[in-house]
Amino acid sequence: MDFTARKRKSSKPTIPNHNSLFSHDLNMYNVPPTGETTLEEFETLAIERLQLLRILEQANCKGNKLFSEDWKKCVKEDLTKLELRKFIRLLNGLDGQTELDINARKADHLSHYILRLAYCRSEELRRWFINRELEWFRLRFMFQNQNTLSRFLESNKLIYAPITDEQKDEIYNELVMSTANMSDVSVRTTNFFKVPFQEVCSLVKNRKIFIKLGFAYIPTNELIVCVQAKFRASLSEALNVASHRLPSLDDERINTFLMNLNNSYTGKDYSSVNSDKKDIDPADLDSYSKKHYPLCMRHIHETLRTAHHLKHFCRLQYGLFLKGIGLTLEDALQFWREEFTKLMDHDKFEKQYAYNVKHSYGKIGSMINYSPFNCIKIITDSVGPGEHHGCPFRNWDATLVKQKMLDHGVSTEGIDTILDLVKNRHFQIACTKYFEYTHSLQAPSTTINHPNQYFEESVNIIGEKKKIS
Amino acid sequence: MAFNEEHLADFLPLYYKRLFPHSLFYQWLSYGDQVMFSKREISFTLFGDVYIRHQSFGTHEDFVRELHKKFPVKIDIGAIYTIPPRGKMSGKALTPIQKELVFDIDMTDYDDVRICCSGADVCCKCWKFMVIACKVMDATLREDFGFNNILWVFSGRRGIHCWVADQNARFLGDDVRSSVAEYIQVIRGGISIKKVYLPGDNIHHSVMRSLAIIDKYFVQSIVIDQDILGKERLNNFLTIIDQDLRGTFKDALEKHESSEERWKAFETTYTDLLQKGQIPRNLRNMKEEIKLQYCYPRLDIHVSKGMNHLLKAPFCVHPKSGKISIPFNPKFVDTFDPAKVPTVILLEEEINEYDAKTKTMTDNADGCLMKIKDYKKTSLLKSVVVFEQFIRSIEKDMKSKENCDMMEIM
Repeated sequence: MDFTARKRKSSKPTIPNHNSLFSHDLNMYNVPPTGETTLEEFETLAIERLQLLRILEQANCKGNKLFSEDWKKCVKEDLTKLELRKFIRLLNGLDGQTELDINARKADHLSHYILRLAYCRSEELRRWFINRELEWFRLRFMFQNQNTLSRFLESNKLIYAPITDEQKDEIYNELVMSTANMSDVSVRTTNFFKVPFQEVCSLVKNRKIFIKLGFAYIPTNELIVCVQAKFRASLSEALNVASHRLPSLDDERINTFLMNLNNSYTGKDYSSVNSDKKDIDPADLDSYSKKHYPLCMRHIHETLRTAHHLKHFCRLQYGLFLKGIGLTLEDALQFWREEFTKLMDHDKFEKQYAYNVKHSYGKIGSMINYSPFNCIKIITDSVGPGEHHGCPFRNWDATLVKQKMLDHGVSTEGIDTILDLVKNRHFQIACTKYFEYTHSLQAPSTTINHPNQYFEESVNIIGEKKKIS
Repeated sequence: MAFNEEHLADFLPLYYKRLFPHSLFYQWLSYGDQVMFSKREISFTLFGDVYIRHQSFGTHEDFVRELHKKFPVKIDIGAIYTIPPRGKMSGKALTPIQKELVFDIDMTDYDDVRICCSGADVCCKCWKFMVIACKVMDATLREDFGFNNILWVFSGRRGIHCWVADQNARFLGDDVRSSVAEYIQVIRGGISIKKVYLPGDNIHHSVMRSLAIIDKYFVQSIVIDQDILGKERLNNFLTIIDQDLRGTFKDALEKHESSEERWKAFETTYTDLLQKGQIPRNLRNMKEEIKLQYCYPRLDIHVSKGMNHLLKAPFCVHPKSGKISIPFNPKFVDTFDPAKVPTVILLEEEINEYDAKTKTMTDNADGCLMKIKDYKKTSLLKSVVVFEQFIRSIEKDMKSKENCDMMEIM
């Protein structure tokens, strides 16, 4: 049977040939594509993959829990809408070997490599790309049957052996205590794997597994986390290498196209003080904070006014936001100085704080013009004791959220809706609803995914109203 | 003589010339390789808050020379970079390749639960928070993560620092550092009232071990000494409890006067409700949650997350207190008294006293002069020994690793 033949092939220590590379829907993308393609095909493939990645991102923004059934459904529906048949084919779980299947896999492979060129250019772009590609990888992983998976893992030399029953007995109690979402019975019947803790960061972070002497003991259904970590590491490394080699890619047709790709598709990053807008007057910030700020920024602003001090990450989150809404460096320095010097002398401010303000405008030190944080960053940032940054919907007690909503004039019906969303961890939708309830039920154009987007949409809505009246 | 910030300039030259253990310091930071040392960021803070970043020193001698020229008020240790940070081109970012995994716990983060002191002050009572933090974290780092080379340092005033120097800890990327720190951070930050959530039927093995440590201190050091259920504080305590159960606990607790009795009342009421099945499933671990909220280590997590984050070096002199940031043995943290940490003034007195004594002795013994290291004449000795042991254990690990590698090659 052709099974034995394939086995013999893959055991050779040569570069896997492209037939075995395209025999599964999954791909680690360790082997670059070879051969020729037309410029037209190149562009089509690039745009299709971007659409795919955008769909994945949108599915998150719509408030579906990552990798949940709803999320999967949403992605599949959107792929169907845009008729991205090749990608849908990779999710059918049939492990087909027809020409159509092979072609879909080849397109997946090539389009991935094209976008690498577009998205290796900056830290920000790399991060966005890696996260989307990981989602795509995991999505396909979830649709494969056990057989295909084993074949895929084996051909990529990702071999994991479960611990023996004796080993399991020794740590049985600890496994029951520490393995999340698992009953005694399932601990008994599931295979456990011993892996270095570094390979399963996301499980370590949330204390979802038992760890002893540097090794994590993970059940079968979490093995994907390991594979994913390997995928992430190799992609991240490859993008770094690509970014260094990029200057040698000297083809104007491709270059302009690639440059425009990433500009048009990751959403705005609000990193520059907007030139087409007039500058913001620092004196207006108090009234803006009441009318146009999302809850996270309003809270920070009010804390600053009462405490006259903010900790580092809080200053960073708010400072970059202010830069994004159009506060100039001079005004920013003035603004922070005025507030901080209510507690400290000018000298201390200049020495300890002014540098950071200039730094975040990219005027000093590494000269990087930092972008304001988007919601994902703010939501995932960790917040220590006594710190005020981060996403209120995520970090605050329900009672506190409720109190603030009341203070800000949200109706009781609105509060219930928002608290419900918070409870289901749909923080961005909660924020979007908060926008609606504080803007006479006018919704923003899309789900809120950036505090500066919130601000701009709010200014636009209220500005229009003024024009009408 | 009491320490005064203005004295610092007079004492630092003596301290750096005669006491600061720069040879050990160099041995540690070079990990047996001078090139590593030369790529290490070591920043100085000079008098008048002049902060010099991106410094590095080619050799041990270069480092000592600068130390004796500048007499820094503070030394910070950063990462080892691909190139010596001193040669950094402006506008270009440096890439860190390794640094110890570090943790920083500051007493000010406990201000909402300690009543004996606040802000910069510390006494034996609130020091217990640091004792618990040190023991909980030391156990977690050793037993869960398998780290062996751990240095605990008194920060000079009111907190503690932890340096993990195992080879595999030093090379961890930022994402892994974050996940280790978050694994350890059980307390939710921010301004929420309830800060610990343990949903689910089982409590994680690591948290259980921490609770066992906390239990040794909880009633005496937290309930009684910090009077957490006293008159003005009872309300705070009650707000942590879920609204639906709060009334029941309020009634039960208010029948008693002292914190200790009230805690007992809390425990009986809780057990009682639990047996009657009146505590909803997601609140079943509320007793544990409360204990953790009051005294589980509160990390300044940002310090641990980034490889390029700097942290104050051991053996610095704290400019406000004059105390030395000394390493200590976590096994004896119970008896560590922050009030008895040597200050620069004390150390100078000790040296002079010793020299005077030996002078009369050697005069008598006809000048058979023994050269003895200055720190050995002082109460700094104990801390230097702890530091030495830490460095020896790193060396031992590196040797055994070398042997392993050799075996593999053969």
